Amino acid sequence: MRSEERNGAVGNQFPVGMRVLAVDDDPVCLKVLETLLRRCKYHVTTTNQAAIALRMLRENRDSFDLVISDVHMPDMDGFKLLELVGLEMDLPVIMLSVNGETKTVMKGITHGACDYLLKPVRLEELKNIWQHVVRRRFSNRERANVDVYEECSRPSNVDFDNVHSQITCGSPDQSGRPSKKRKEYHSEDEDEGGESNGQGNDDSSAPKKPRVVWSVELHRKFVAAVNHLGVDKAVPKRILELMNVDKLTRENVASHLQKYRLYLKRLSAVASQQASIVAALGGSDTFMRMGALEGLQGYEGFTSSEAMSSFSPQGLLNRNNLTSFGIQGMAASRPIQIATGNSTISHSTGDVNRYRLSLPGTSNRQGNVAQGLAASVGQVQLPQKWIQGENHDLSNIVSGNGFVNSVPGTLRSVTNSPLLQQDLVERRQAKMVIQPSSSANSERLEGTVGVSSSLMDSHVSQQGDFPLSVLSASALFSGTFASSNISKLGATSSGSTTICPSNDLRVARDNKMGASSFGSAIRLSPDTAQNQKYLNFGGGSSLRHNIDSENTDSLLVSKLVWSSLLNSQPPSTFGSQRPDNGSLGVKMIEPASVTAAPQMKIDTFDILTPKNTLELSFPRLNSELSSSSCSFDGLLNSIIKVEKDDASFSDDLGCDFYSLGACI
Amino acid sequence: MDYSNLRRQAASMKKSLFDQGYLDEQFCQVEDLQDEASPNFAEEVITLFFKDSARLISNIEQALEKYPKDFNKWDAYMQQLKGSCSSIGASRMKSECMSFREFCGQGNVEGCMKSFQKVKREHGVLRQKLEAYFQLLRQAGPAGAATRPGM
Repeated sequence: MRSEERNGAVGNQFPVGMRVLAVDDDPVCLKVLETLLRRCKYHVTTTNQAAIALRMLRENRDSFDLVISDVHMPDMDGFKLLELVGLEMDLPVIMLSVNGETKTVMKGITHGACDYLLKPVRLEELKNIWQHVVRRRFSNRERANVDVYEECSRPSNVDFDNVHSQITCGSPDQSGRPSKKRKEYHSEDEDEGGESNGQGNDDSSAPKKPRVVWSVELHRKFVAAVNHLGVDKAVPKRILELMNVDKLTRENVASHLQKYRLYLKRLSAVASQQASIVAALGGSDTFMRMGALEGLQGYEGFTSSEAMSSFSPQGLLNRNNLTSFGIQGMAASRPIQIATGNSTISHSTGDVNRYRLSLPGTSNRQGNVAQGLAASVGQVQLPQKWIQGENHDLSNIVSGNGFVNSVPGTLRSVTNSPLLQQDLVERRQAKMVIQPSSSANSERLEGTVGVSSSLMDSHVSQQGDFPLSVLSASALFSGTFASSNISKLGATSSGSTTICPSNDLRVARDNKMGASSFGSAIRLSPDTAQNQKYLNFGGGSSLRHNIDSENTDSLLVSKLVWSSLLNSQPPSTFGSQRPDNGSLGVKMIEPASVTAAPQMKIDTFDILTPKNTLELSFPRLNSELSSSSCSFDGLLNSIIKVEKDDASFSDDLGCDFYSLGACI
Repeated sequence: MDYSNLRRQAASMKKSLFDQGYLDEQFCQVEDLQDEASPNFAEEVITLFFKDSARLISNIEQALEKYPKDFNKWDAYMQQLKGSCSSIGASRMKSECMSFREFCGQGNVEGCMKSFQKVKREHGVLRQKLEAYFQLLRQAGPAGAATRPGM
C-alpha cells in the first residue's frame, strides 16, 4: 500500500482505496462484508480473529485507515479490541453487531467506536464510512493547528502530494499525518516554512514516522504532567514540555490527551450514573450493578492500555463523579492525593509512586483491598500495569483484579490491626499502603483499613478530606465484599477516595446519595463511643470526640467505620439514624439517617458498604475490635461476615454500594 | 429458450421464497454483489452459510445438552447463528433464532427446546430450497444471474 501506488491507481479519489481491516469471526458475514467493501472500492483485508487483527495493526501501523470489527468474537471482546486500537493506533473503529440494543450501542460509543452498524450491513452504510477517517484526520490536524482544509482540498497540488496521497490512500496512519503536520509545525517554529511540504513529503511518503506507542512509562509521564497542570487546564504544549520526551510531538500528546479526557468523561458519566442511582437509594440494584459492571468491563479494555492507568488519577479525583473514578483514583495518584489531603499522603502528581499507602506494618502485604477496589472497577487492570513498576503498594491496589475474589478470604486474615493502628496513627498522613495482592488476605484489609484510619485521622482534623477514607472505604469494601460486592466496593471506594473533598461528602450525605458517600467516609455508627478502641485507629481519640458529639448524628462524622461495625446491631450503630441501618456504609447513605445528622462531619467516613457486607461486618467487627484495638482484621472480617449474614442493609441501599463501586 | 425457461423458473422459485418469507431483501443484496469478478458469489456465500450454520447448530445442540439451563451460553451461540442468517437474508430462520433468544431471556427451557427444533427445521427446509434454486440457476447457464423477484 504505497501511497504513491494508491495515488496513481485511484487518482486521488479518496475514499477510493481506503484501507480497511475487517474483523469478524463469522465467515459468512465476513465474506459478505468483504465483498461489500470491495464494491465500495476500498482496499480490504480480512481476518476472523481479533488477535491477528491486532498483530497486523501493530506490525504495520500505517497500513490501515479504518477498522471494522464485530462485537461478539470468541477470542477477544470486540469492545476490547476497539479500545486497544483506538488507544494504540488511533484509528477509527466501526463496530458491527447483530445486537442493536441501546445499551450495547452505548457501550460501543463510550468505548470509542466512531460508528456502530447493525448486521446485516448494507452497501449504502458502508459507502459512507470513509467520513470517519477524514474526520479523525481533520481533528488531529486541528489540534496541530495545521490547515487541514488546505491539505485536504488540494487534489492536484504537487506540493501536497504527500498529504494528498495520504488522504487518498487513506493515509497510512495517523502518525504519518502528525509527522507531516509536525513537520509543518516545526518548520513554522523553525522558520523553515518553505520546506515544510517538502520535508513532510519526504517524511511521510517514504518511511512513515512511527506511530507513538503509549507505553506505561510514557503514559505515566503524561499523566504526571497532566496532573501537574491540572486536567482541565492541561494543554498539549505544556504537557509535552513537562514530559520532555524525545520524538514526541505535540500532536501525539494532543490526541492522547483527547482520548484521556474522553476516558475520564466516560468514567465520570458512569460514576454520575451510579451516583444518581445511589442517590435514588434504591435504584434498581441491577442498574447499579450494571453500572458497576459496565465500569468494570469498560475498564477492562483499558487494562491493556497503559494509558488507562494514567486516566484514573487526576481526572478522577477532580470529578465529583468520583465514584467511578474511585477505583481509578485508587490506582492513580489522585486518590491518594486526596486522601492525604492535607497531608499525609505524599502528594503525587499522578505518579503512582506517590501513592504510597502504606499500612504500617503491612506495607508489603498485598493490598488486596486496594486491588479489590481496583478490580472491582475493572479499572484495576489498568493501574496495575501502570503502577506495577511504581509504587508497589499502589499497584497492589490497582491490581486488585484478583482481589475481588479473594477478598472475602483476605479480610479474615487481617490481623495486623495493632500494627495498623499504630501505624495509622503515626502515619496518618500517609502512606496508605494498599497492597495489591490479589490474595485474599487480611493484609489487604489492613491495607485498606489502615488507610482509612489514616484518613480518619486526617479527616478528623480536616473535615471532609477524606481521601483516605475513601480509599479505605473502598479498600475495605472491596475486600470484604467478595465477588460482586467487592468489586463494587472497590469501585466505589476508589471513587470515594476521590471524593475526599468534604463537600462531596456533605453533598452526598445531604443528598443521601450513596454515590457521594462514596467518598464519604465510613460512617461510624453513633455507637462509636463503644468503639473507642477502634477509634484508636489512627486518631481514634479524635474520632472519639466526633463520635460522641455525633452520636445522634449521622454517621457521617468521622467515626470509624469500625465503630459502627462494633455495633453489631446496625440499627443501633446508627443511633438515631436508621433503625435497621446495620451496614455502616450503606445505611449511612440513607438520607434519613444521614442527613439527620446536622453536622456533617466530614471526618467521618461514610462507607458505603454494600448492603450486606457492611452491616454484617460491622457487627462482627465490633466484637473483634473490642478485643484488639481496632484490628482492621476484625473489621474486615466483620464486614465480610456482615455481608454474608446480613441482608438488611441491602434493602436500604439497594444497589448503593455497588453502584458506588461501579461508579468507581 | 430452454435456458430462458430455466431462468424463468429460477426467478419464480426465488419469488416464491420471498413471498413465503424464507428470504428477505438481504438476499438480493448478496446476489447483487455478484459480478464478473465473482460470478458465483451468491452461491458461494450460501454454501458457506450452510456449512457454517450446520456447525453452529451442532454447537447449540451440544450446549443444550451439556450445559443445561445455561441460557447465557445458549444465547451467545444463537446470536452467532442469527448473525449469519441475517447476513444472507434467511428471514424465517432468523425469526426462529430470535424467538429462541427470547426464550433464553425468559429462562424458558422448554420454549428454547421447541424453538431450537424449529430453527433446525427451517434450516433444513431453506437448504433444500436454495439448493434447488441454485441448481436451476446453474442449469440456466452462467449468464442466468438471478434477478429480483417479480421482475
